[in-house]
Amino acid sequence: MFIFSFREALRSFRHHGGLATTAVVALTAVLMLAGMFLLLEYNAQVALQFLGDRREMVVYLKDEVTPEQRDALIQRLGQSFGAATYVSKEDAWKEFTQQVGDPQLLEAVDQNPLPASLRVRLRPELLNASAMATAARQVQQFPEVEDVRYGAEWVRRLDDLDAGLKRGALIAGFAVALLAIFVIYNTLRLTVLARRHPIEIMSRLGATDAFIARPFVLEAMLEGLIAAVLSLGLLFGLQQAVASQWMSSVVFIPWTWVGGFAGATLALAWLAATLALSRVLRSAGA
Amino acid sequence: MITFDQVSKRFGERLALDSISWHMDEGECVVFLGHSGAGKTTLLRLVTHETAPSSGRVVVGTFQGSRLSRQQRALLRRTLGIIYEDFRLLGDRSVFENVALAVRIAGHFREEEVIPRVLYALDEVGLKGQQSAYPHELSAGEKQRAAIARAIVNRPAVILADEPTGALEPHSAHEVLALLRRIHAEGAAVILVTTRLDVARAVPGRVLELRDGSLFEPGAGEPEPMAPGGAVSPGAEG
Repeated sequence: MFIFSFREALRSFRHHGGLATTAVVALTAVLMLAGMFLLLEYNAQVALQFLGDRREMVVYLKDEVTPEQRDALIQRLGQSFGAATYVSKEDAWKEFTQQVGDPQLLEAVDQNPLPASLRVRLRPELLNASAMATAARQVQQFPEVEDVRYGAEWVRRLDDLDAGLKRGALIAGFAVALLAIFVIYNTLRLTVLARRHPIEIMSRLGATDAFIARPFVLEAMLEGLIAAVLSLGLLFGLQQAVASQWMSSVVFIPWTWVGGFAGATLALAWLAATLALSRVLRSAGA
Repeated sequence: MITFDQVSKRFGERLALDSISWHMDEGECVVFLGHSGAGKTTLLRLVTHETAPSSGRVVVGTFQGSRLSRQQRALLRRTLGIIYEDFRLLGDRSVFENVALAVRIAGHFREEEVIPRVLYALDEVGLKGQQSAYPHELSAGEKQRAAIARAIVNRPAVILADEPTGALEPHSAHEVLALLRRIHAEGAAVILVTTRLDVARAVPGRVLELRDGSLFEPGAGEPEPMAPGGAVSPGAEG
């Protein structure tokens, strides 16, 4: 029965080429819009993650800390907060002079005032403003520690930006999904309404709702799949063009997202065609 | 086999059928004769459960009750073969595919049984050579014969014919009526509704007359005058 329904869906797709093409074009347009949103959202996430990964905590050590105490501290920090790298007073001065650039400016400084420090790459679960603040307070308690810095304001702003982006993504995603559902439902409803006559005839011949609906739903899903593939192809072309011409850092959405996008389109097509058919079947008197 | 017990059907203010009762047995042929708007099509729609009675009881075989489920309605219709005045063939399918659709809808034949069944039905109506033609390539008479093939292909117990010669010229009408007589002679019950007295007389069945939603047995009430061309006069319609 499934083979018959699939054959019927293909036959209908061929026989009503104009209608099917119109549906595919309309669906491709709205899916392209949804896909562009996904591309933006994904690239924003990648950018935020990149910035977030650079967040680190700098633990300044007291001058009197011995190498043994320092190594013990590195071990303790590693266990609770993240991998720590030692930066000696000399390394810090070297880095500082490189950053300043002009050696004349540093001539007045007769002694290296910079402390030795540990740069801690925090664990992922600690990469947010409140967790970092708590971690900083705890690290500050160690007797070897002079001071702890982690760019509290910058981290808070990054967190705010992340939260804002997520909120915006949720709202915009919801709006785009609603628009997609609306367009898919109405496009497929039109194709179903255009075939009201054969639906009525089949119903009068004693066809069950499932028998009538299956080919239409399969056809709608086929149209949805073609539109999803087309829109993803266009989106890939767009990403490639942007990456090669303007922003090389722009990346395409991952395969899991591609699969989810195609799956969601198929599910929407199924839902829209089923809803549209149930209305037509009810009013077909059947 | 089919029983109408005090069945009325009202559409808003209009009473389409007024408390009619009739019964037919297996293999019987009943002709409902009446002018346009007399309630003939409503009666057929009640048999197929496309509409429910406002009051009374309709029994078709083992199906009874005014509110069958959608599944039951589909099952009921598969026990009937329906022929319409306007053929109701699917224009995007060949004659073969139109008839095969009814077999597939019936659902109790394997795929390899479909082709011989369809060809046999087409042979019975004299359309075997036209199996690949599409409805728009056929004459009105051929279209109706294709519709008859679709109606008989599953060997239903009852054939419903709604003005089957209404759109046909005399020669095709004669052929279609001959086909219906043959189907009936082979054992199928036939319900035929028509406005034409000559069509009613052309099939060997009991004739019941519908006038303004009421049913009259032959000889009951005033006999209807014949209109020119053999159609029942709508004079009593008011």
